[in-house]
Amino acid sequence: MLPILAKLFIYGVLFLSLVAALGVVLLPNIFHAALCLVGTLLGIAALYLALQAEFIAVVQVLLYVGAVMTLVIFAIMLTHRIGDMTIPQTNKQSLPACLALFAFVVLIGGLLLKTDWSILVGTGGSVASVNPPVDTFMLGKALLGEYVFPFEVVSVILIAGLIGAIVVARKD
Amino acid sequence: MFGVLRGMGITFKNFVASYFLPRKPNSLETGGMVTLQYPEERLPEKERFRNFPFLIYDTKPDDLRCVACDICAKECPPKCIYIVRDNDEQGRPLKKPKVFDIDFTVCMNCGICEEACPFDAIFMDHEFEVGGPERQQSLVYHMDQLLKPATHFAKIRPTDHVAIEEKRRKEAEKKRAAAQAQPKPPEAKPPQA
Amino acid sequence: MIFLDQIFVNSKKAILNLASAFLPTDAILIVSALISIGAIAAFGPFTMMYLTWFERKLVGRIQNRIGPNRVGIFGLLQPIADGIKMLTKEDIVPAGADKVVHFLAPVVVVIPALLVFSVVPFGRNMVAIDLNIGLLFFLAVSAMTTIAIFMGSWASRNKFSLLGGMRTVAQLVSYEVPMVLAAVPAILASGSLSTVDIVEAQGGWNGLKWFVFTPWGFVGFLMFYLCGVAECNRTPFDIPEAESEIVAGFHTEYSGMKFALWYMAEFMSVFTISALTATLYLGGYQGPWLPSWAWFMIKTYALVFVMMWFRGTLPRLRVDQMMGLAWKFLLPLTLINILVTGLWYFTSGLGLRLGLSIGILLVSSWVLVLFNRPYMPEKRVYEFAE
Repeated sequence: MLPILAKLFIYGVLFLSLVAALGVVLLPNIFHAALCLVGTLLGIAALYLALQAEFIAVVQVLLYVGAVMTLVIFAIMLTHRIGDMTIPQTNKQSLPACLALFAFVVLIGGLLLKTDWSILVGTGGSVASVNPPVDTFMLGKALLGEYVFPFEVVSVILIAGLIGAIVVARKD
Repeated sequence: MFGVLRGMGITFKNFVASYFLPRKPNSLETGGMVTLQYPEERLPEKERFRNFPFLIYDTKPDDLRCVACDICAKECPPKCIYIVRDNDEQGRPLKKPKVFDIDFTVCMNCGICEEACPFDAIFMDHEFEVGGPERQQSLVYHMDQLLKPATHFAKIRPTDHVAIEEKRRKEAEKKRAAAQAQPKPPEAKPPQA
Repeated sequence: MIFLDQIFVNSKKAILNLASAFLPTDAILIVSALISIGAIAAFGPFTMMYLTWFERKLVGRIQNRIGPNRVGIFGLLQPIADGIKMLTKEDIVPAGADKVVHFLAPVVVVIPALLVFSVVPFGRNMVAIDLNIGLLFFLAVSAMTTIAIFMGSWASRNKFSLLGGMRTVAQLVSYEVPMVLAAVPAILASGSLSTVDIVEAQGGWNGLKWFVFTPWGFVGFLMFYLCGVAECNRTPFDIPEAESEIVAGFHTEYSGMKFALWYMAEFMSVFTISALTATLYLGGYQGPWLPSWAWFMIKTYALVFVMMWFRGTLPRLRVDQMMGLAWKFLLPLTLINILVTGLWYFTSGLGLRLGLSIGILLVSSWVLVLFNRPYMPEKRVYEFAE
């Protein structure tokens, strides 16, 4: 009974986040699109949670939902009239965008096909029993131990970005 | 920083004091509850407090002081007083109102009627709990609702009552003296030629 | 003692035992979850109702008034009367509003406010889910409130609402940073993100080894609490709903039960923020003599009391003062506080530890205060006044 419920939950969340993702693209109102983006990101967080990657799920909510908030504010600031329904959905760049998207799908699909998923379907247990749960402690150790150099590089790049943003903004 | 802490201290002192200090209605000192549980307890009314006018009578409601002169109705700034003079059977005017209505929805409690009245017949009352189930008719007070005895006036405004009684007594004496000095009014003289 | 301490846990177990007689094992899990959910879903709104009563009474007493005292003894039925009033009120939706989002916003805002209850340890063994990232879960979920508030403010199609929403986003996003950083010392000291583990780490000294008794804990406690007050939009940080400036901020256009939902979210977050502050730095349910849940409630309500005391005392901050406090004072001090926590655990000897940490904290806060001289406008001269 419980595995069925869990599957139902996962498929339901998948379906809802796909619908929300479609909403991001299709809705004419930029604010609604941003809200749909929140829905998609929350759905993905729920999927992480279902896969027992709690830390990543929570960080997903903490960072992405917060980031969407700033996006929403930009949306508000960029719209001339709030609730304007007459924004065109397509422009000249739609063809290159479609091409890029197709290339991306091919890339991801190729990766998916090439990946060896044998761990998951291996010993016949459920997903949870095979995958070791993502330990936050291990994650922290890995970030500040084994991968400390990339971590530091990323933080330096971020600081450079922050300072650059301040410099650009201060020019007036 | 320390200003914030001091402010917090003051509010906390008030918070604690409201439980322990005796209640001080109408006091501006800090500490002690100031609330009065109104319908159950009330502040003593001030003598010069005024709200809505009432009509005064001396002994019984029939011999009221008002002579329906209409001065108060004319003086009333929002024109809330409506007076119709009474007539006797022959149709001659009586010194008595037949209708005396005051619309309390219009009255602005200025007290000009009281000042204007030459007969000391209308005074401002202390009654402030007037209310009605609807907005028009129940707040138009008719004569029977407005009439109150002189004892009521003596109760709510004793100082004014004494002064006005004194004035009325003197006026009455003067009138009597005038009546004695000139027993016959000039109109009573027989017509000449 | 243990009986009293575990009374709620044991009663839940008793119900589950009863249910296991005639239900399959899977269903028992669901029943267990439902009991926890039901307890939280009942406790949250109930807390909110009586927090409104508590606040009105308390602010009344601070102002030497009595507060609500007409409905029931001590006005205890006042929240129910308010609830009936709210339910029967007309629900007004502005003509230009985005109807769907306007309706969704107050519903969405209650969800995170209720969700965060699930990681609050109400007592020993009394936590709905012992997530190993409980604290992060709390911070992430409570951050979602921002979106709900902004939805409501945008969908109202009202200038004041939108202004309130903008202010909310600015305030909440700014205060989230020092809030997370102020929680870090407790995580460092307990070595876990789980709320239960953090509480258990403060269990020594007969249940009095609270983090607040250390220098870094004291500073962390103060800053976490301040940021928490700002996170639930309470005075003196109630800029998003400043009555005297922008009507009622983001909930200007809400009436009836929707307005009640906004209030419910606000008061429940008052409770959960206080609960989390108590968990992180005041030792949560740890304490001598009394049952664990009683200690938790005492601490939480003491912090709620202080929040309402703030409300009865302090005037509202200006927007620039509020932003300055977050970015120029709290943020650097929290970073220094994390450093001090590290030093505390890498030095030995009580005198050295105390001296070093208190010294660094005092000097740095003094320097920060020096740098943050508030802007004082020059005294105005009225030429023609005299």
